[in-house]
Amino acid sequence: MSTAIVKITRTQTYRTVADALWQNNPISKQVLGICSSLAVTVQMNTAIVMALALTFVVAFSNLVISLMRKIIPRNIRIIVEVAVIATLVIIADEVLKAFMFNISKQLSVFVGLIITNCIVMGRAETCAMSNAPYPAFVDGLANGIGYGSVLVGVSFFRELLGAGKILGFAVVPQAFYDMGYMNMGLMLLAPGAFIVIGLFVWLEHALLKS
Amino acid sequence: MSDGVKTILFATILCLVCSLLLTLASTGLNAFQQENARVDRQKNILQAVGVVAPGRTYPADEIKALYQSTIQCISVNAEGQVLSAEAAPQKTMPLYLYLQDEQVQAYIVPVDSRGLWGRIYGYLALDTDGSTVTGFSVYQHSETPGLGGEIENQWFQRNFVGKRIVDTAGDFVSIKIAKGAVKNMIRPDLQPNYVDGISGATMTGKFLTEGLQGILQTYEPVSVHFRTQGMLKLPENALVCQPQS
Repeated sequence: MSTAIVKITRTQTYRTVADALWQNNPISKQVLGICSSLAVTVQMNTAIVMALALTFVVAFSNLVISLMRKIIPRNIRIIVEVAVIATLVIIADEVLKAFMFNISKQLSVFVGLIITNCIVMGRAETCAMSNAPYPAFVDGLANGIGYGSVLVGVSFFRELLGAGKILGFAVVPQAFYDMGYMNMGLMLLAPGAFIVIGLFVWLEHALLKS
Repeated sequence: MSDGVKTILFATILCLVCSLLLTLASTGLNAFQQENARVDRQKNILQAVGVVAPGRTYPADEIKALYQSTIQCISVNAEGQVLSAEAAPQKTMPLYLYLQDEQVQAYIVPVDSRGLWGRIYGYLALDTDGSTVTGFSVYQHSETPGLGGEIENQWFQRNFVGKRIVDTAGDFVSIKIAKGAVKNMIRPDLQPNYVDGISGATMTGKFLTEGLQGILQTYEPVSVHFRTQGMLKLPENALVCQPQS
């Protein structure tokens, strides 16, 4: 059993995933993609959908760009990357509009803004352009999940403290409110997200140091 | 093949493939999106008259059933007369009626206003006295989230409830969006004609004020009718309104 675990932890795939989820998390370590993580983390369901949309885009843009990496002319490579990413983002946006209309309305411009998310461009440029399709795809997937995990974590605290709910279900009992407990309005505003993300960054750095 | 030609060829093929994918996604999903948008408009009409609560999600079938049973859409002409199906073809405006037990409780005018970044679409519901606003809702806009985008939020829309489109003398003045809070900025006798503005969204407020003024002016003959003669007379076979695009 323990040898199996050691074998898994030595694979390239494991290292890629662990790196993106923890040692090099795009939000809490590299501090990328902050704009959308401030905007869509008021509720958990929007955060989850946003995380899925970004994971889809970053994984498949990595895959496609990696497949084409040997034939992309160097002088227009950024344009090619943006074109691939933009196409995937618009497809994701159209699918959300067709099947998850309410959530897509709440996410408003932020799905479209995945195009400008530094994580996606960053992975395309640094990983997909120089790696084979499979590792690039795994890297994209892992970075999407790394981004999503922080998003969901932040939105958990914001929704719980700001609205007394988790995934839209009330979890703070009415008795608490009757006794004078109040929702924390700050958590619903962007500065609340800033503080929570700051605490996440602090926590991760403190744990990595020890 | 020279590098330049290769680059152009690659870019052309990439563009073709991308546009093909986008066309497929757009046309393939269009029917679902249209249906969603239609239900969303119905929901906003119901929200303007307070049948459904804002900020809650309802199953599409429930919205459709509620809409079917409480809302009637008729056509009026520029003089505010309700048109019957036999009327000569002319320019018509849609008007929604909120009915309960066959009684008209409110009438709803569609809002199509200029905004800062694009058009603002919504509904404004007025009481049968022809002067009191009973609700306002927005279903589509492109204002900045957090600033002008606040027009889609409950706190802003609730402001409209109970406001009046006529002044104390009974003359039409429309409803305006104040710069800041009404109770600090506006003379007490004018307060019923103003709603609280959004800080950081002065332009959105300015354009929406102008838009509402224009729309209410267009529908003023209908409002005058409600104010002076009460309920509109509905012909037996009222001309069903043209669905909005």
